[in-house]
Amino acid sequence: MLGGMNVVELARLQFALTAGAHFLFVALTLGLATLVAVIQTRATLSRSPEHLRMTRFWGQLYIINYAMGIVTGLVMEFQFGLSWSGLTHFAGNVFGASLALETLVAFFVEATFLGLWIFGWDRLNRWAHLSLIWVVTLTAYASAFWILISNGFLQNPVGYELAGDTLRLVDFGAIVGNPAALVAFGHVLGGGLVVGGFFMAGVSAYHLRRRTAEQVFFRKSLRVGVGVALPATLLTAAFGGLGFETMQPAKLAAWSGDAAEIARVQAEMAARYGPGDYLPPVGWVSGSGMTMMTLFALMLFFSAASFLLMLFKPLVRGFRLWHWLLTAMIPVPFVTMISGWIFREMGRQPWAVYGLLKTSDALSPISEGQMLTSLIVFCAVFGVLIVVNYWLLARQARRGPDEVALGDRLELVPTF
Amino acid sequence: MEIFILGFFTIGYLVLAGADIGVGMLLPYLGRSADERREVITSIAPFFLGNEVWLVAAAGVLAGLFPELEGTLLTGNYLAVVALLAGWVVRDMGLWLRGRVDGPHWRLCWDGAIVAGSWTLALSWGAILSGILVEPLTGLVAALATVAVAALFATHGLSFAGLRLRGELRARAVRPTGAADERGTYALTAAALAALGVLAGIRLPLAASAADAGTLALLVPVILVLIPFLVLSQAWVWWTFRHRVSGPSYL
Repeated sequence: MLGGMNVVELARLQFALTAGAHFLFVALTLGLATLVAVIQTRATLSRSPEHLRMTRFWGQLYIINYAMGIVTGLVMEFQFGLSWSGLTHFAGNVFGASLALETLVAFFVEATFLGLWIFGWDRLNRWAHLSLIWVVTLTAYASAFWILISNGFLQNPVGYELAGDTLRLVDFGAIVGNPAALVAFGHVLGGGLVVGGFFMAGVSAYHLRRRTAEQVFFRKSLRVGVGVALPATLLTAAFGGLGFETMQPAKLAAWSGDAAEIARVQAEMAARYGPGDYLPPVGWVSGSGMTMMTLFALMLFFSAASFLLMLFKPLVRGFRLWHWLLTAMIPVPFVTMISGWIFREMGRQPWAVYGLLKTSDALSPISEGQMLTSLIVFCAVFGVLIVVNYWLLARQARRGPDEVALGDRLELVPTF
Repeated sequence: MEIFILGFFTIGYLVLAGADIGVGMLLPYLGRSADERREVITSIAPFFLGNEVWLVAAAGVLAGLFPELEGTLLTGNYLAVVALLAGWVVRDMGLWLRGRVDGPHWRLCWDGAIVAGSWTLALSWGAILSGILVEPLTGLVAALATVAVAALFATHGLSFAGLRLRGELRARAVRPTGAADERGTYALTAAALAALGVLAGIRLPLAASAADAGTLALLVPVILVLIPFLVLSQAWVWWTFRHRVSGPSYL
């Protein structure tokens, strides 16, 4: 299958797979970090041992997931220079600024403080330790913000001027205020909370259904998860609705599936940019958009019903069909998010920077053999790691709060 | 100033994360049993996240301040950079995963990933750095230069392990260099890695490939203001874990 693809298609596939893999983990990171920070705040304020155990258990799952987010993110960052040097050459003066700020303002601090949060568990004052998880959460949000500013520029370029064959930065305020970026930021943050809420509810429901020893622990956790999932779903949908206002005409036309409208947009773009095919792959755009919308409807009804059910204690304790459904729903927000990204990114084609640089012109001067090699290397490494890490995540979730390494007091030998 | 910023993060990476790479390369020598290896890993565990992020920052600075060079440098070293990334990912995952399941085969497998990943990282850096320093570089000379850079990472790892470990593990770390003064050895290997970074920087067309003036005027002051805060956040980690390893950690 790969043999029939040209270098651009291979490079796009590589980017799509690594970005997709990255986002699977990042989405849960955004949601779980927030929930862990809130639970740890509760634990720190009340000194409640139960909330401290919740912090450690959900924190452990958060870290297993986070580690994969980091390593997939590394490959993402370097891929711009590796595969898309036409983009860095053309738009680097503008696009590079927000990427640079992401690494320095957000990720540098996030990684440093996360290390301190994990390894400094019993060494730091509890308020200092609590402040760390909040910094980690807020810098994760900052990271998402700057990445979506970068992505928003590709979707809807603003604040630049064309100088020869490169772009020049003229209005950074316009880039940061880009509606295509800000709406997506709200949409992604809401989506992260949906993923995190459904995850927490689903794992808790597993323990309630299996009647494991930790009933109180998981009843509390289930309420947190369901309590977050419903408002987060509504918030995400609200930003998603706004997103349609900032959408490119070709993406909208492909989504509507209206043949006349598609032809009109194509004719308009050909008149503006010269002869060529300016339509995104219509099947992918409408298919992924439809998947996202359908699953959104499912999540909305399910989280609303769950919200009502959780108000009744006997149901939280013993409604096992509901518990089973909650667990079965865990993958749904992930699939919805990936569909959303396919919709957004496929719908931007054939442009890398909308209206300015075509994806095929953004490609690095790389041979097919080199591109194929890197694609196979990344697929093999991440393929294995994704399977192993999801297995570990499920295993840790099943084992419950008594077997958590995070914050475990290890026998300390005196320093000399 | 933009050259100083790129150099700051790149050299910071080579010196700080270079020690993690070196310790990973020599893990089988430093730790002979699974428990010993866990203690050796504890010497780098609290730091490796905060150390590797210096390269993420350097790449971000490259993208923001030297976008043209970002493309030519990475595309020009395509396979070496792909190997570097693969080694990095495998090494990190080895560190994260080795303790997640309690079993000798599991630990051995991920200890192997740490060692293989660290060697891949060191050799990829060797290929990239020596390729920048001596051009064109082919055949035996290229192989020797690559191995020499990797050996420098390994020595730097030993000197760091000598500073952090105790007892027999510390003795093992000190033995090959034969130095009684551990701080002095660390300073020496750190200086050698920093010098390598400076020389590579001199060979690159940095001044000619900086971003447009408008971009620099925005980013350079912001980054200069940020740097003290970033260093302070890292200093908190170094201060918290300033003592020698006194027992196993989370990893």
